[in-house]
This record gives sequence, structure tokens and C-alpha cells, in this order.
Amino acid sequence: MATEPLVVYSGRSDQFVLPVVKAFTEKTGIEVILHNAKSTALLSKLILEGKRTEADLFLSNDAGNLQVGADKDLFLPLPEALTADIPAQYRAPNNAWVGLSSRMRVLVVNTEAENTQFIDSIFDLADPALKGRLAITHSANGSYIAGTTVYMLAAGIDETRDWLNGMKANVAGKVFNKHGKVVKAVAQGKADVGLVNHYYIYRHLAETPDAPIRMVLPDQGENGIGVAENVAGIAISRHSKNIDVAKQFVAFLVSEQGQKIFAEVNREYPVRPGIAAAIEIPAAGSFKVSNVAMHRLGDERNRTFDLIDSIGMP
Amino acid sequence: MHSVARPLAGTASLIALLAAIPLIFVVYKSSGLTLVKWRGLWQSRIPELFANTLSLSVLVAIGCLILGVSAAWLVARRDFKGRRVISWLLILPLAIPTYVFAHIYTVITADDGWLGQIWLVFFDQSLDIFNIWGTALVLILAGFSYVFLLVRIALMDANSSLEEAARIQGASPLAVFWHVSLPLIRPAIAAAMAIVVLHTLSDFGAVSMLRFQTFTLSIYLQLSGRLDYEAAAALSLILVALSFTFIIVERFFRRRARYFSQAQSRHHIPRKASKGELFIIWFWLGLICLFAFIVPLLWMLQWSWQAIISGAIDGRFWGYTFNSLTVAVLAATVAMIIALPVGLFHTRAKSWLSSTCLYFSSVGFVLPGPVVALGIISFAIFALPALYGGLTLLVLALVIRFLPLAIQSQEAAMQQLTPSIEQAGRVLGAGPLENLKRVILPMIRGGMASAWVLVFIDAIKELPATLLLRPVGFDTLPVRIWIEASEEMLELAAPAALIIVIATLPAIWLMTRTSVNRNGNKDEIASRGF
Repeated sequence: MATEPLVVYSGRSDQFVLPVVKAFTEKTGIEVILHNAKSTALLSKLILEGKRTEADLFLSNDAGNLQVGADKDLFLPLPEALTADIPAQYRAPNNAWVGLSSRMRVLVVNTEAENTQFIDSIFDLADPALKGRLAITHSANGSYIAGTTVYMLAAGIDETRDWLNGMKANVAGKVFNKHGKVVKAVAQGKADVGLVNHYYIYRHLAETPDAPIRMVLPDQGENGIGVAENVAGIAISRHSKNIDVAKQFVAFLVSEQGQKIFAEVNREYPVRPGIAAAIEIPAAGSFKVSNVAMHRLGDERNRTFDLIDSIGMP
Repeated sequence: MHSVARPLAGTASLIALLAAIPLIFVVYKSSGLTLVKWRGLWQSRIPELFANTLSLSVLVAIGCLILGVSAAWLVARRDFKGRRVISWLLILPLAIPTYVFAHIYTVITADDGWLGQIWLVFFDQSLDIFNIWGTALVLILAGFSYVFLLVRIALMDANSSLEEAARIQGASPLAVFWHVSLPLIRPAIAAAMAIVVLHTLSDFGAVSMLRFQTFTLSIYLQLSGRLDYEAAAALSLILVALSFTFIIVERFFRRRARYFSQAQSRHHIPRKASKGELFIIWFWLGLICLFAFIVPLLWMLQWSWQAIISGAIDGRFWGYTFNSLTVAVLAATVAMIIALPVGLFHTRAKSWLSSTCLYFSSVGFVLPGPVVALGIISFAIFALPALYGGLTLLVLALVIRFLPLAIQSQEAAMQQLTPSIEQAGRVLGAGPLENLKRVILPMIRGGMASAWVLVFIDAIKELPATLLLRPVGFDTLPVRIWIEASEEMLELAAPAALIIVIATLPAIWLMTRTSVNRNGNKDEIASRGF
């Protein structure tokens, strides 16, 4: 029986999904169509489409989006057996979605800048000593929102509010619209420290290996909250007409081969234990990661929006 | 007359209803908003959004007016070498999407960009375009061509003997322009302003890239962050009200000015430019062309070349090009045809119904693309499930978005149709359809062609609605630009942007041709700059 192509609503950049899709097609002969748009827009589309959707799967770079979709009952819970190898904190409570790769919220510091040695926590970014020296993205950025949710849950809402206020003062209204530009600004000395996802630093270093930047994994001390993480993940549409094949695709993505390809192209951490990440990034397990289950990024998202709005973060 | 008016009114109403689908969605969704939430929105966001959106529109309108009218006057009234090339360069910015403009300008004005470096040397501080000035600049560069295009045609069509008479009487060139030329081109200016301001009100590309909080951006953030359709719909409703107010004001001014554009002998030979004038022409027009087209073009060429040598241009790329052309041609053709009854109805019968039809048909243009798309998705799921997910729906969405452009340009042409011309046809025994075919259509051919071209140009650039409504696996050039850009590698998008420009060339050629042919004199082509 010829199989219909799988339709994946994908909020993750094409170039980071195509390699794993290619491997899947080679192995199974099943074609996959990537239908790209912003994750949130695709989520809207799924909600409005309901039964009429052509999507078999929903792929997003943000656990928050996946959980919001799960809360709206858009996804079919995955069989436990399929995801047994993936730790529970990387999955929905009812298994409606499964994480695939993890990214870390880290600091990038200019190695030539003075008075940066004290920076070892994200909360240091609110330090008045960094006034005019800080680079961050605008607050509508998905990774920024997810990170803020983690800090709100791990350190409390008051401390997070103070932190946002302090950063707001330090950036003085000047924010970047892309993470890549934050890293670039720090590398060029326009700013001394920035807040980004780890792979942007390595992407920059791959192009300019002698850029004067270093990565700081924040909040590693005894009482530190650990590095905030977020996962990209996938879910099967409740109205997929191709559920068995969709499951096959998910099974491939969480398999050793799939995990390796999926995470490595973007220098992320595979969520499946025991799979090595790209060689240049710090080994998983060698640093402390904050203890927040990923589904809470969706549950708490509106509270994070309220917090960010109340401060008027740029 | 009655026998013609009724089917016309019916058809026009049906089309207006179709165009109003997104508005119905917005009204329906915003009706769910509680009074408390309305008040919250009103107190927290709306004043700032009003101020930002209005001041941006005013700045863009003024900028486009200065650039467009000065360029049109120089090209229409002075003869100089290179006029033909310059005219093309002044129209071509229309082919560059605002998101591409915005990206290019963020790159070159950054501290390590060439413009940013020059700025640093002269002003000793970074050139910051992430504000109202930068956003306005981008929108002016992307939009002044509409003013140039329409005003140039108006100046060429205007009777120059009036200007000459004023000159002979001893009026200074400035006085002639102010008291004679300007009133003649006022309808064209009004029409161009409408296009520019409505583009600004609904712009998403520049405001999102430069993070300038207008209604469109705020609506998008409500939609994408909180999935709050109600708040997004409420803000959309206010945006629609704002746009309608503007359209009503613009129509008012145009009606007052209408009598100026009556048929006149259309022959004008521009005077040869003097040395001093040549200097002004080359400096000023050169400056405009440089920033509005040559700089973006060089960026596209540079990165397209990189893409070609790295082998990024493969068969799939031509597939995207084909998809883009298909959608744009279909949308332009359908919009051109269905704009005809709406425009005709409004020029013939000035009634509340014809005006209502006109306003409703404008809704798609002023609502942000994502809102239009979501409205059409819910409508199609509910009423036309068979069409859902197909190309038809995407074309429908683009037609709804750009219908007002088609109506505007056809109406301008229809205003030249005096009732006596039609009556003459009827008296000679032509039925309504024959009259349409033999009298009306030939007279408004130019207007129909520009309607087609304007819709084509916008449709081939369209992103937000296409992104949500395209059939699964159906990628167009703007969609590819977006996909490559979302991972911060917009350089990969340069070839797609370049192809959009190239694909627009024949359309612009068509438009300039018909504006010439309308006067039936091919010998004039050279003297007109084309």
C-alpha cells in the first residue's frame, strides 16, 4: 500500500529538520511534507481547523506551545511504549507531546571587557554595574518568554520582577530582534554581556573562531537555580488520518539515530539519555540544569506575559 | 438605467459581502470581549497605539509626497538623458517587500554596516533605526513610488498650456507649480496617498522587524503570544474604524477636486533641462534611486551570487517561483474582474448602498494579514469545507486583501466616463452588455491594467496571509524568504527577493505601456520617458 505523505506543521527552521526527515524517508520510503510557519500561527491554524486539518504532526521549538496545544486538546496522547526512553520532564503529563532536543539559556560575555568576572548568574544582568553594557532580545521572543517562566518558577515572581526591572534599566530601551545579533554585539564589544540560547554562541564561533567571547553557564552554585532549558518537541494531531505512520515518525525521532541527527544539526542536547551531543558544547550532565518540568512553560505562560506586560519590557 | 442598476447593485453587494468575511470574523470575535477587558485595553494599550500608528502614517505620507511629487514633476516636465532609466528605477522599489527593505536597512545601518560606519564618523554615535524615524524611512522608500507613478501620469495628461500661460504672465516656476500644476494633480495625489497610508496602517513587515508598536504589530502579538483572539479582534476593529475615517476624508477631498481631471487635449512636450536643473535632477533623483532601489538591489545581487556559487539554487527554487507567479496572476485577474461592478456601481449611483459596498470592499486591505487569514480559515471551515486547503482559498484571500487597489484604479478611469458617452451608445441601439464591451471597457482599459498590475505586485509580495492559507507543501517566494529569515540567515532569502523583483518587471512594463497607449500616440512614448 502506498502511503500518503506525512504532513508536519513545523515551527522549526527547515534546515534543522530536513536532515532527519531525509534519513526517515530513506529508511522507510515515507515522504514528509514540512509546512512551515511560526509555531504560534500553526497552533492557531490547528485550533481553527479542528477536524478539517491536514496536519498529521505538530513540531515546535518551544515546549510552551506544545503544552498550550495539549491543553486545547489538539493532540493525540502518545503510547507510553513509544516514549519510554525519554525522561518524564521532557514530556506532557498525559504524553500528548514529547520533547526531542534541549537548548540552554546561557550568558555570552566579551573576554576583553573589564569588570565581567563577577557575572555567574542571570540575576547579575540586573546589576547596575552593567548599565548600558547588556544585550538582550525583545520580550516577544519565545525563548525569552520560556526562560522568564523558568526563573519565575525557580526563583519566585518577586525576584523575577526585580530582575526584569533591572535589565530594563540596563538596556535603556535598546533591545535586539534576533539572538544572533546579541552574540554579534557582544563579540564586537558593543555590549559586554548578553542572554542567549547556547547554540547561537557556537554558531557565531563556527564562523569566527577567534571571536573574543566566552559562554557562562549561569547559576551553578550550591544554591543556584541551574541553567534554564527549553525543548523542541513534537505531537500527533488528534485529527490525523495517518496515525500509525505518524507514530512511526515519532518513533524514529526518539530513536538513537533520529536523536543524534535532530539535535546535532543545531548543536542542541538530545533528550534521550546516553546520546552524545555535538562535541564542542559542554557535555550534558556536567552542569546543573534547573528543575522545572517542560510542560509548565505552557501552563504558566499567561502569567509570564502578565509579568512582562506589567513591567513594560521592550 | 433602472434595468442596469439593479443587477449591478446586486453583484456589487455580493462582492462586498465576500470582501467583508474577515470583518465579520473580527466583529464576531470581539463581541466576546467583556466590558472590563475592553476598558483594560483602552487604558493600557490603545492610546499609545493610536499615537504611534497615526504619527507613523503622517510621517510616511509626508515623506512619500515630497519624494513622489518632486520626482514625478522633474521626470514629467523636464527632458534629460536617462529619463527612461530613472523612471524605471523610481517605480521598481514597489517590487521590494517591506520586510526585505527593513532587513537590508538594519544590516547597513548597524555599527559594522557601511552606512552605520559613515554615520559614526560624522555624528559620533550609532545610527538607530529601531524607532519611528527608521520605520517611516523604510515605508517611505517602499511606498513613494505609488505617488510618483500616479502623479507622473496625471502631470503628463494635464494640459500644459495652462502652465505655459501662467509662465508667460510672469509667474515664478514655484508659483506655477503651486497654483496651476498642483490643483491639476490633486486627484492623483489623493489616490496615491490612500494607497500609501492604507499600506502603512496595515504594514506588518517593517513594523515587526523594526519593533515599532503599531496596531498591526500589537494585534499580531495578542494573537501569537496569548492566542487571545478577542483582544486581537477588538484592536482590529479599532484599526478598521481608523482606516475608514481616513478613506472617508480622502474621498471627500477627491470629490471636491474631481472636476479638474476632465478630458483635455493631452499633449505635453517637456522642456529641455538647463545645466543647473540637470544638477538638481541627477543629485536628487540619484539620491532617491540609490537608497530606494540600488542599495537593496546590490544587496540582493551580492547574496544571490553567494547562493548560486554555494549551489543553493536548485529545481525547488523554480517551483517556488512558479507558485508565486500562479497565485499572483490568478489573484490579480480575479480582483481586476470583480472590482469592475463595485467601481462601476459606485461611480454610477452615489447612494448609501454603493458607498457601503465600497467601504466593505476595503476591509481586507486595512486588516492585518494574519487576521484576514484567520477570518477566512474559520469562514471556509464553516461554509465552504470543500474549498479548504486548496489554492482557491489562498487566491480568494489575496483578492480580498487587495481588492481596494483594483477598485481605486478602475474608479479613477471610470470617472472619465461621462454619462453622455454611455447614453450615446445606448441611443445608437447598444444593449447594456454591448455597451459595456464596446464603450465602457475600451475607455477604462488603462485603469483595468493598472488595477491588475497593482494587485499583482502586492500579491506576489504577500506574506502573512499566504503563510497561513497556502495549501500544504505549497511554498511561494515570500514564504521561502520568511523560512530562511526565521533562523536569522536572511541572506539565504536574497535570491527569492531578487526573483520577485524580476517577476514584477513585465507587470510594470505593462502598466507604463497602457498609460501611454491610453493616449493612442506611440510617438509620444519616447518623450514620455518610456
